[in-house]
Amino acid sequence: MRSDHEAPGAARPGPAGLTAEPPADFAVRVLRRAGVPRETYDTYVRLDTAVGALFVAASPEAVTGAALDTDGSTATAFEELHRARTGRSALRSARAFPGVVTALRTGRARRLPIDLSPHGPVERAVLEAVRSVPVGQLRPVGWIAQEAGTAPEAVAGAVAQNPAAVLIPSHRVTYDDGTPCDAAHLPDTGDALRAAEGIDLRRVAELHRRGVVFLGSDTTRIYCHPTCAHARRITPPHQVPFSTAREAGLAGYRACRSCRPLTV
Amino acid sequence: MDEKAERQLTELLATNLDGGFTELVRVHGRAVYTFLLRVCGSATEADDLGQDTFLRAYTALQVYGPERRRALRPRAWLLAIAANVWRNHLRTCSRRPALAGVPVEDTAEARSDHRPGPAELAALADDRRRLVTALLKLPEHHRTPVVLRHVVGLSYREVAEVQQCAVGTAKAQVSRGLRALRRLLEPETALLEGVTP
Repeated sequence: MRSDHEAPGAARPGPAGLTAEPPADFAVRVLRRAGVPRETYDTYVRLDTAVGALFVAASPEAVTGAALDTDGSTATAFEELHRARTGRSALRSARAFPGVVTALRTGRARRLPIDLSPHGPVERAVLEAVRSVPVGQLRPVGWIAQEAGTAPEAVAGAVAQNPAAVLIPSHRVTYDDGTPCDAAHLPDTGDALRAAEGIDLRRVAELHRRGVVFLGSDTTRIYCHPTCAHARRITPPHQVPFSTAREAGLAGYRACRSCRPLTV
Repeated sequence: MDEKAERQLTELLATNLDGGFTELVRVHGRAVYTFLLRVCGSATEADDLGQDTFLRAYTALQVYGPERRRALRPRAWLLAIAANVWRNHLRTCSRRPALAGVPVEDTAEARSDHRPGPAELAALADDRRRLVTALLKLPEHHRTPVVLRHVVGLSYREVAEVQQCAVGTAKAQVSRGLRALRRLLEPETALLEGVTP
């Protein structure tokens, strides 16, 4: 799971390439022995995910930031980024924050404490709403806005500020027409994250091409988001596509209580 | 490390000792560890001496007033402490010869799984190993300046500060050290090509 011990200069020949990484808990041990209180700094680890390495920084109480290694950001770059974003020092450590490894493996990071205090109330509400999207499902911007109680225009901006990549699943947010809204990362990364969660990208694209935003079942007369667990169980002969909530309502369908699509 | 970042660091040290020290460990931990590893050759020893270096630094910072902390040049200062710790360690070892362990280069480090394929990797690891063993064969008074200048990447001014000598003396030491290193690596001088004193 861990991929520590990278020597940044290893590829360079000559004496300058002899730079070495100290043991993972070197800095933390120094501070512990010097008596610097643990609450004053964060520690981070580098964990492997389906889309590359993820740096996860945490205070003793909560995860304070995470960033993917995909765009060539090194450990030093992450440390600088974390310092700029939160004003706290992040030191390399050998142990991940409890629950992070499990959250990454299962994709269920809902219960993981994540510190959103540097953000404003609107951003916090939006990011909390994004955190409530279940694994393997997608939710449109309108839904996030409804859950967060904010205007839909504020969603993309708040999602772009996602302080904890992957752990706050901003890759599960789409625009209202069903196309992915990759505001916080590159579209390729978003696709890889979605595919790793078992989201059928081809099916999503196909539904988008047909203009399908909601799927209803003619046996239950309930409509869902197409990636909702209940919608995925509707057999093809019983699937009824809708492009708006209004259309579904007029046809006499009610909204699913599990994925709570918009109602009119 | 650029001037601006150094100034930010000393400013933080002057106003908030614990926060500044945390940043000091974060930013300069690697340089201190690399220096100690390359002069003493053993990973565990470098770890111990590195801990010792930072502990001494913290104790000293507690005594310094804010003005003195602001005037500090952190990297050179830390490496000067590291060099002293290393010198003291050598002296202790020479007095208790039974404790002087045989330096063991950490082969696991040298074989880190990085981008180049197996062939380049083998060559690289081999080059690194040869360079590291040659460095360890240098006499101590040549090894420290060469490591400071060419492995850690200090400027001559900083090397002089660490070694407490004039800049010209530092240059001479590094140049003599490099010449000695070249002699040790005689058949493989290509390794040091492009490294001019």
